Amino acid sequence: MDTDFAKRRRRDLIVAFCLAAIAAVVPLFVKDSYVQNIMVLTLMWAALSQSWNILSGYCGQISLGHALYFGIGAYTTTLLFTKFGVLPWFGMLGGGLISALIAMGLGYPCFRLRGHYFAIATIVIAEIGLLLFHNWDWAGAALGIEIPVRGDSWLKFQFARSKLPYFYFALALACVAWFVTWWLEDSKWGYWWRAVKDNPDAAESLGVVVFNSKMGAAAVSAFLVAVGGSFYAQFVSYIDPESIMGFHISLLMALPAVLGGIGTLWGPMLGAVILIPVTELTRSYAGGSGRGVDLIVYGGLIIAISLARPQGLVSLFAPKRKEATR
Amino acid sequence: MSTPLLETRGVWQRFGGLVANSDVSISVERGEIVGLIGPNGAGKSTLFNLIAGVLPPTQGSIWFDGEDVTSLPAAERCARGVARTFQVVKSFETMTVIDNVIVGALVRNTVMRVARQKANEVLDFCGLAGRANVLASDLVPSEKRRLEVARALATEPKLLLLDECLTGLTPLEAQTGVELVRKVRDTGVTILMVEHVMEIVMPLVDRAIVLDLGKVLVEGKPNDVVRDPKVITAYLGDRHAVGA
Repeated sequence: MDTDFAKRRRRDLIVAFCLAAIAAVVPLFVKDSYVQNIMVLTLMWAALSQSWNILSGYCGQISLGHALYFGIGAYTTTLLFTKFGVLPWFGMLGGGLISALIAMGLGYPCFRLRGHYFAIATIVIAEIGLLLFHNWDWAGAALGIEIPVRGDSWLKFQFARSKLPYFYFALALACVAWFVTWWLEDSKWGYWWRAVKDNPDAAESLGVVVFNSKMGAAAVSAFLVAVGGSFYAQFVSYIDPESIMGFHISLLMALPAVLGGIGTLWGPMLGAVILIPVTELTRSYAGGSGRGVDLIVYGGLIIAISLARPQGLVSLFAPKRKEATR
Repeated sequence: MSTPLLETRGVWQRFGGLVANSDVSISVERGEIVGLIGPNGAGKSTLFNLIAGVLPPTQGSIWFDGEDVTSLPAAERCARGVARTFQVVKSFETMTVIDNVIVGALVRNTVMRVARQKANEVLDFCGLAGRANVLASDLVPSEKRRLEVARALATEPKLLLLDECLTGLTPLEAQTGVELVRKVRDTGVTILMVEHVMEIVMPLVDRAIVLDLGKVLVEGKPNDVVRDPKVITAYLGDRHAVGA
């Protein structure tokens, strides 16, 4: 059913375009800056989770250390700007490239590990990165770096008065991450990644170079996450190791995908749209002294999902498939 | 053109103290169906894995299509034209049947549309066209075996290695399997098959190679091989060889 397939691909693209168009006009009506803030964060986490999903969802290499790439993106942009006056846009690109290279450098030894061992290695490596930045005086060490205010401009990607520019950049980033996934899904890489995830031995026997597939996924994934990190640094204009590279960042990238449907095109988006507003709201209403309520909500959602819908929420929208009669 | 398609030259494989293959030299000519048989533990699967490139031999060399491929990994051998199926089926369970086959087709076709078309043709050839959009995990065991073959064929191999692909099927399923193997050979693909069930293999193959205790015991026409006293001894023990 060749045409069915092409039709589904086209439908995905049209739906994505419509959703993006709707999202683009929402902030013109919703002026409350608190709500706008949540929308920016939702889009950013959607983009990050979508990027994480490329390596961990499609290629099946569960990374719990993507905070490293997020941090490298944030630090590269910030350091280049504060120390050398390099515009954040170049920092973004540079951070992305550095992250992609580091991801491949780390992948070289780590991709020999399978399953849980790989996941554990990613946690450890991200912790090492965190410690390095904690003790790196030139990069602000534990105190972090404040991005100096130089007035609102697209060139310096700073906006003190309005959140709209940040919103549109986050939206663009989410669209790019989604589109890259959509495009790769029906490419040689997409098929190779899913084959590697399902059965590396069989994949190898069919001419799939398993190692290269993992390296490719890691590079794309790390690049996009680093761009997200750069954006976040500009958005909050103050970074420090704990808030940028802590383990919670890695988890926050994984959870929307897990909630929405790991290794699916729409899963991370759907997951982020539900999860991020919920966390932000619980944090502001139930947070305060009882820090951690948002995390309880998180945990609860994940438990509920893994019990009721282990394939993720997107499976609710999937066309009914005949279950095997077994 | 007189070089055999596949040749193993003095291949040894040791796992610690265990010698799985000792000094195995076999060859497979173009267009043949060769059966690799032998009792349990004879070293068939090990030899098979050495040829497919899963692991390098401890000693000796493997030649494919006139080239030394001993040091090439499995993926590289697939690109040269060696395809295999697995004894324990290894489908890509979360992917549809057609997507499973596309993975194989991508070795020779980088354009997705062409790869998809190729996959459709192969599914048709293997009688799985009706199941194209079903998840591989939803197939019944005989269909999964068929999918293994389809996936391997999609790589457009010169040599197809079949690892017990007819074992554990009902007689009817095995018969359709046999027909499929013949059909594949008729398209010009050389086949080396490991098989347990003698009644099925013997009428199918042009030549049989019997392995026992890691060594080549006998090789020849199937009819001669089954009468060979050494083969009967290997399978059934000394007592039965007397009558032969």
